[in-house]
Amino acid sequence: MTASILSLRVRKSFPDFSLDCEAAVEDGVTALFGPSGSGKTTLLNCIAGLIAPDEGRIEALGRTLYSSEDGRKVAPDKRRFGYVFQDAALFPHMNVWKNVLYGYNLTPKEDRRLEPERLMELLRIGPLRDRGVSTLSGGERQRVALARALAISPDMLLLDEPLASLDWEMRGLIIRYLKRIRAELGTPMLYVSHSISEVMALADDAIVLSRGRIVAQGPTSRVLVDPRLSGVAGLSTLENMFEAEIASNRGGEGLADLKVGNAVLLASNVYAAQGETVMASIRAGDIILSLDAPLRTSARNTIRAVIDEIHPLGQMVLVYLDIGTRLMVEITPGALSELRLEPGRTVYAVIKANSIMVMDPGEPQTHFS
Amino acid sequence: MLSSVLLTIQVSAAATLINIPLALAVSWLMVKKRVRGRFVIDVLIALPLAVPPVAIGYFLLLMLGRNGPVGAALQTVLGIDVVFTWVAAALASAVVSFPLITRTVMVAMGGVDSRIEMSARSLGAGPWRIFLTITAPLAYRGILAGILLGFVRALSEFGATVVVAGNIAGRTQTIPLALFTSVQTGDDRAALQLAAVSVGIAVVTLLTHNWLLEKSRLQAA
Repeated sequence: MTASILSLRVRKSFPDFSLDCEAAVEDGVTALFGPSGSGKTTLLNCIAGLIAPDEGRIEALGRTLYSSEDGRKVAPDKRRFGYVFQDAALFPHMNVWKNVLYGYNLTPKEDRRLEPERLMELLRIGPLRDRGVSTLSGGERQRVALARALAISPDMLLLDEPLASLDWEMRGLIIRYLKRIRAELGTPMLYVSHSISEVMALADDAIVLSRGRIVAQGPTSRVLVDPRLSGVAGLSTLENMFEAEIASNRGGEGLADLKVGNAVLLASNVYAAQGETVMASIRAGDIILSLDAPLRTSARNTIRAVIDEIHPLGQMVLVYLDIGTRLMVEITPGALSELRLEPGRTVYAVIKANSIMVMDPGEPQTHFS
Repeated sequence: MLSSVLLTIQVSAAATLINIPLALAVSWLMVKKRVRGRFVIDVLIALPLAVPPVAIGYFLLLMLGRNGPVGAALQTVLGIDVVFTWVAAALASAVVSFPLITRTVMVAMGGVDSRIEMSARSLGAGPWRIFLTITAPLAYRGILAGILLGFVRALSEFGATVVVAGNIAGRTQTIPLALFTSVQTGDDRAALQLAAVSVGIAVVTLLTHNWLLEKSRLQAA
């Protein structure tokens, strides 16, 4: 367990809402998770210095950024956080390269650890260098915003729902880039999201907010099964998102075997080459659990797996299967009682090949410079 | 007549130059800093639009006259008297055109997405740098339009000017004052010429103003 890199105690009142939080954030990717209106973005803005709390204390990497007792308040431009807005908020009167250089040029030379060229390459926006930002797609804009924020060599990236305005396929791609940033550059991230699937796919730790209060915090795998969450998560679609290696692309006709945990799944509509890693997603509600292996079925994937944990989640029940990685299956309470499912029991998960969505077939490549 | 045309441009240009930094500063405080007492300041900004220009001129005369607080100070410190000079005309035009510049600049600055400015802030830019590199470049068409609008208002200024600067041919007699004198003395030829020149300058300036506003609207969309 690493030491905390950010600790905060924040109180802020609005006419119709109040925020009262105390948390310690560790190195890695931490999700600020909760439904809209729970205060996630307000808390993020307090950390960034864009909103002044009424009372409290914020410390990052041993530096006090805000303290109501000492009357200390470090200006947002002196905090060294890279902030990425939901809609990128690029500078419309500058091209891509000037956007990326804006903060880099303001960073003292001795603090510059990340070179803009390298970031452009890491995020695959090198070819967009001279383009005006109004000509970019949503995913491109978000990558430019990431490069621009990283170019100040930030102590931490603050991300305010960076995927919310993107389409489904682009979300998968940006998640991969965020993972890549984490792996390659080691920049810690605080990531605001109301999507449990995103949090599951990306975050090491999660802080769950509800109505301005923290209701759970800790490692994602533990926090998201917290029973208190069932009231918080106004769940949309729960997806399993994971990186998968193409074990075989079966001659490139769109069908491919994906290696997921210790299972191999047949998926359709995959055009990536053998050996490549892609981002794949399976909706938790699209997976069927069966006590016996189905004998004759059109579904192409039947995986034998042991039930890890079972948790109520809203009106449904969430069953975790261990397939070398964690697979979430959403079933009804009726199915749970009828099949008498319980942890330790062996079941068969049945998945159709076209229920496995591969988000970024063919892109991006896996080598870095 | 040429002297009054040149004088008008000189007075209006000086009035506009006085107003530009003030209007930018006030707009920035009102729109971006959201200072306390904005409702009161908003009324003060608009006041010269609503008060008769003659009253403004009279107020300026009280301030700048030899017995006024500002006039007395200028007299003792610098030994100058601004009343009934072109400087007084410029000050009168500045006060009268201030609301037009400021209100247009406020709208232009308000149109700049604050998240873009916050991005710049988080990237290490201080307030001055944000104003110079983000707000001003993104709002510049609206700012220019406001400046031109203030300039045309200064060109046509009469009431405040005649009270505080008088109507002295060659010294404070701008086009509107010369026009007034021509009408009074029955010199129709001069009156028509002066009126035509006024219309000409106004049309060119207003066309430029409208073109700038249209461009900035297109850019915002």
